[in-house]
Amino acid sequence: MKVQAGDQIPGWLMDSVRPERMRTMAAILRDPNPVHWDRNACDALGFGRRTINQGPLGLSYMVNMLHAWAGPGCITRLIMTFPKVVLDGDRITARGEVTGLRAEGGQRFADCRVWLDRGPDDHPLQGTATVRLPAE
Amino acid sequence: MPEKTAPLPPEAEIAAIVGHAFPGGVYTVAHWENFLLTECTGADLLPDGMVHPVVLFHMPILGSRTTIGEMFALGRADSDFSIGIESYDWEMFEPLREERPYTVSGTVVSAERRTRPDGRLFDRIQFRFEVAQADGDLAARTTITWHYGRGSAT
Repeated sequence: MKVQAGDQIPGWLMDSVRPERMRTMAAILRDPNPVHWDRNACDALGFGRRTINQGPLGLSYMVNMLHAWAGPGCITRLIMTFPKVVLDGDRITARGEVTGLRAEGGQRFADCRVWLDRGPDDHPLQGTATVRLPAE
Repeated sequence: MPEKTAPLPPEAEIAAIVGHAFPGGVYTVAHWENFLLTECTGADLLPDGMVHPVVLFHMPILGSRTTIGEMFALGRADSDFSIGIESYDWEMFEPLREERPYTVSGTVVSAERRTRPDGRLFDRIQFRFEVAQADGDLAARTTITWHYGRGSAT
């Protein structure tokens, strides 16, 4: 796999963030926060009648992008910030860019900037990732 | 956001939770759990029983024998709505596998009161969890940094 700093990682599309997935996730996480499953709670907070995606689910779209690019198990570190919420019905693309390459212990790693893209200048999640690269 | 009615917890009480350790325990990710989690992410199951890394949010929490609700309460959250995420930091040393027991521990590593530029107070609380394999080697380490909103400073 040939990789250079500045390479764009192919995007990974979540065509429509689905509320039923948030409900399943809330049950598995034992997450009591109603913003993930109660539209009335979201309405009262000013988000309209759309539930708020769990932070880890948004993060998982970046995982899926990186796995599609460099293979399952390739991620060694992921640091994510959450400037904005993702809502049910949103169309989201996970994107990334290689910012640097390095070698450690006989393996190659790519440092990447990663983000979720909802539209022009609308990036609800932003972070960095370190990816172990497959052999060239 | 709803009006804050809960009294402001003393800063010293918040600082005192640093070092708090959750009981810890053993957690095994069942196939059904990995299946449902992975489906929620929109991906296909990973090969060879590999668990989707999204598990690294809740598995360390539940494995260390706490809950999201207890973490909210430990930081004296006004309500579920008063929590904001600063960051999640997931370090992965070995892919996790289904149906394999992992030993999990978790502690509060920092807790401090801060003021936003607009004058609103929040407590920045950081939790760290470690997930170890049967041989004791670390498989993953996660750091959760949450902001517990406290309303206005004045």
